[in-house]
Amino acid sequence: MIYRSLFILFCLIQVSALGQAKFTISGYVKDAANGEALIGATIYVKSLSTGATTNVYGFYSLTLQSGSYDLEMSYIGFATQAKSLMLSENIRIDIELQSEERQLEEVVVISTKDLEGVKAMEMSTNRLDMKTILKIPAFLGEADVIKSLQQLPGVSTVGEGASGFNVRGGSVGQNLILLDEATVYNSSHMLGFFSVFNPDAVKDTKLYKGAIPAQYGGRIASLLDVRMKEGNNKDYEVNGGIGTIFSRAAVEGPLFDGDGSFIVAGRRSYIDVLARPFVEVLQEGGALNFYDLTGKANYNINKRNRIFISGYTGRDKFFFDKSQGFSWGNNTGTIRWNKIFNDRLFANFSGIFSRYDYSLQFGENDLDNFKWNSSIRNVTFKPSFSYFINASNEISFGGEVNYYSFEPANASGTSNGDEIDISLPEKYNLESALYLGNSQRLTSRIFVDYGLRYSYFMGFGPGTQYTYNDTIPGRRRTVINEENFEQGEITSTYQNFEPRVSMKVELNDVSSIKASYNRMAQYLHLISNTTASNPLDVWTPSSNNTKPELSDQWALGYFRNFGKEQMFEFSVEAYYRKTQNQIDYIDGADLLINEYLEGDLLPGEGRAYGLEFYLQKKVGRFTGWAAYTLARTELKVNGINRYEWYAARFDQTHNLKLSGFYDLSKRWSASANFTLVSGTPSTFPTSRFVVQGMLIPYNAQDSRNNVRLPAYHRLDVSFRLEGKTVKRNGNARKNSDYWVFGVYNLYARKNPFSIYFTQGKERVAQGAPINSEARQLSIIGTVIPAISYNFNF
Amino acid sequence: MKRLSSFLIIILSASILFYSCEEVINPELEAADPVLVIDAWLNNTPGPQQIVLTRSQPYFENVLPPGVSGAAVRVTDESGKVYAFAESEPGKYVWVPVGNEVFGVVGVNYELSVQVGAETFTSEARMGRAPVIDSITFFLEEGDQFTDDQYQAEFWSTDPQEPNDAYWIKTFKNSEQLLKPNEIVTAYDAGFSKGGNFNGVAFIVPIRRAINPFDENEDGTFKSPYVVGDSIYVQIQSVTEAGFNYLNEVRIQTDRPGGFSELFATPLANVTTNIVNTNSNGSKVLGFFNVGAVSGLGRKFGSLDDLSEN
Repeated sequence: MIYRSLFILFCLIQVSALGQAKFTISGYVKDAANGEALIGATIYVKSLSTGATTNVYGFYSLTLQSGSYDLEMSYIGFATQAKSLMLSENIRIDIELQSEERQLEEVVVISTKDLEGVKAMEMSTNRLDMKTILKIPAFLGEADVIKSLQQLPGVSTVGEGASGFNVRGGSVGQNLILLDEATVYNSSHMLGFFSVFNPDAVKDTKLYKGAIPAQYGGRIASLLDVRMKEGNNKDYEVNGGIGTIFSRAAVEGPLFDGDGSFIVAGRRSYIDVLARPFVEVLQEGGALNFYDLTGKANYNINKRNRIFISGYTGRDKFFFDKSQGFSWGNNTGTIRWNKIFNDRLFANFSGIFSRYDYSLQFGENDLDNFKWNSSIRNVTFKPSFSYFINASNEISFGGEVNYYSFEPANASGTSNGDEIDISLPEKYNLESALYLGNSQRLTSRIFVDYGLRYSYFMGFGPGTQYTYNDTIPGRRRTVINEENFEQGEITSTYQNFEPRVSMKVELNDVSSIKASYNRMAQYLHLISNTTASNPLDVWTPSSNNTKPELSDQWALGYFRNFGKEQMFEFSVEAYYRKTQNQIDYIDGADLLINEYLEGDLLPGEGRAYGLEFYLQKKVGRFTGWAAYTLARTELKVNGINRYEWYAARFDQTHNLKLSGFYDLSKRWSASANFTLVSGTPSTFPTSRFVVQGMLIPYNAQDSRNNVRLPAYHRLDVSFRLEGKTVKRNGNARKNSDYWVFGVYNLYARKNPFSIYFTQGKERVAQGAPINSEARQLSIIGTVIPAISYNFNF
Repeated sequence: MKRLSSFLIIILSASILFYSCEEVINPELEAADPVLVIDAWLNNTPGPQQIVLTRSQPYFENVLPPGVSGAAVRVTDESGKVYAFAESEPGKYVWVPVGNEVFGVVGVNYELSVQVGAETFTSEARMGRAPVIDSITFFLEEGDQFTDDQYQAEFWSTDPQEPNDAYWIKTFKNSEQLLKPNEIVTAYDAGFSKGGNFNGVAFIVPIRRAINPFDENEDGTFKSPYVVGDSIYVQIQSVTEAGFNYLNEVRIQTDRPGGFSELFATPLANVTTNIVNTNSNGSKVLGFFNVGAVSGLGRKFGSLDDLSEN
């Protein structure tokens, strides 16, 4: 099967590669203002109606027969450049495009018609540029990458304060989140109110909800690819802001006379600083804050070699005195080497490190205390190649080796002076993959992208592997056998072939149909049985007891631009996703510091399907979009809900998001967003009973998620005031600044996060009846205003 | 480690900005037929032992559950000795000892049999051991700007050397048992859970100090758990491993403090039972059967001179 597809692939390439003298135009496309590489810029050959787009490093390569051509280089928001050339040898053309804004008064701009949705090969993807993210009204005025994503179709969340996001029925732990290729294991600060990405340091954010290229794997729901800015290689620049929750500052500038550049960006929350004079706990060593620091540098060794180093470190701290509290944080580092072997072969080699850890400690003295830390680490080497065979074929191939070490619990407790080590053994795993794909133009209107990823996962010693008994599904399984493994001895292995196929048919210049299928495998599992994922959730590898999660997704979409200047972009996509070996939990599962965790896990299957509508207006004084998703996500697990299908906790039937931006005047602009989603499912009891004076809820049908919470809706608005652009004396200011005034939840809707059932708070005398009640909780139950000041110089 | 995470949640809830709000609502619930509930927790304290049979009620029916009369209830030990429980009032079945007889011996297996109408429900349990409580001390946790001074109690007891003991620790303040959902205290050996490895040592400090009731004042601050003049009685009752799991499930299902802890709440689920209908297609049954040994110790908080160092 595999060999046959490879054979067909090469035949196709061979056929299209036949012909006579051909030459290659290649190079980088960059932003003229700061030298940032432009991702996805188009180089279009008018006479042939063909072209190329730049990759994530801004590189393009286009191979054509010798002759003379008119080229157009374009990128959204930038003025298109035209170039005529006589192609008789391989040439390198590096292009710098001017931003439209900066150009306005100087030259007449050929406005780029934005047909990205229709023309792009990809489907099921959404790109958010930083400009848009900064415009969306944000909670407490802090622009946030992940909260902004939740305005897109197919993306949902269980509620305010919940970390992460759900894509097309996937759980939070099924999203692969990459920051400059390094895995981010927990994308949240302060539970889920903010994300770890500093908007000052982010260049490009792209969410793949399906049709994920063969280059990526390891999670079954989505890929969030966050790319950091490279830094201005022309001028020093300082960006920053002072907001309600935190302050930010970023510095960027050239290195090595413009052959390189750097950016360093940091943020810190300061509620604890402000509160310190009033709160004794904070004066005595308590802490309540988070910070992050993001940095990147790059250097052009020569025309064919470029290196990048980037890193992130961030931490949240909650301490109520010097020795008690907890903290968590991510650290990532990436070293990349871009190498242009020749005009048609582009390579990137990445060395990646990522670590997520948390620690907590309790106990005010040495006689009685408790310390625990846990971490997951990975070191990755990832070579990837793009071979631009000709204008119709771009082959990508490469591999990936990930070494993981899991430290579920490095813990000790002291009880009345006796110290006891309660650590769990570390686990070691290797995940590797090879991939090969081709992006091919079959005719001038039909394009296919096909690839295959082969992934291999193994666990190795030292370690112990347990065998559990079979019991009534839904009950805790107990160990019946254990087997010890020496260092380096292989404990279990898994492999999967993951085909990825997508196709685009352009019906005409303004509409296209796309379809895709992909299979994904996930070998690491985020163990979380709570409503929202929390910082103490552990990642656990597949083993003899826990099989890899698999998903198959099919999607079909229609894309169309219309209106004056094709200013409206419309798309509708349908998807169906089937999953295997999803993890659920027995009732009363013990997930933390439990050597026998696997005995508490239940494997299940899942299905998710939906329709996503998206309408966007990208130009004019009024811009914005409407996104509507009609969806269903269900699970079936032996031991839960009578082994019948039940809706997942984050299932939302209707999900409507409206975002609008309006320029009121030269200096004032307004933004608003509105959210209306169906209530998420919840489990309600039918009955109650008493045992030993304890009032216990009971669901007579043994149902899971049998009821829907009331619908959620919310309106946020914000106004932005640009600082003056000219000084009093009439000269232009070099600096720019702006204010943002925002209101979150404008009409103070009390959206229910949960409805829970409990006995009354009062103490009940023995033998007296106990009152039971239902309580509805709104995480945000009021209007929240915010103000922030932002600057650039 | 479940309690550990709920502890964390309390810190988080306390530290995060409060925008949340809660209100009591009256949602409509699905109707359900009543189910037999067998409350059979027996122990080796001298005197009568009681088994209570009731039925489940609609969730919002805030009255005492109805008793189930006319059942035949007995417990048989592994040597075949039968303890007959006679109905003393509707739904309450009592075994009364003859002379100095005490129910239960550590290490012995017991079988419960309850016949209601034509159906028979059975269960088994083995009586574990309970370590003695050496002492109870009081200490002062000084208040800060948010709380008053708190007089708290701590009990001292050491778990036996061999592992796999499980306990339910009950506290009685001025003879009233502390029974709020967050006052269900369990221990596996000297720690919180089976995989915890705390064995053969003093109970860990969060357990030793879990005998303090934290009731709120009107303004939301906490009352001192004990004041001079109060008395405390602590009882360790051994439970089976199933009983330990049962109590933990009960706590997960009932201890819902609300607020930000709801972010980390698990879905509502039925607690398991160790009682089965001998006819597997017969009616459902709820409740639990446990036989436990008990040890106990009381102390009166006579004066501030009773305080020990924290």
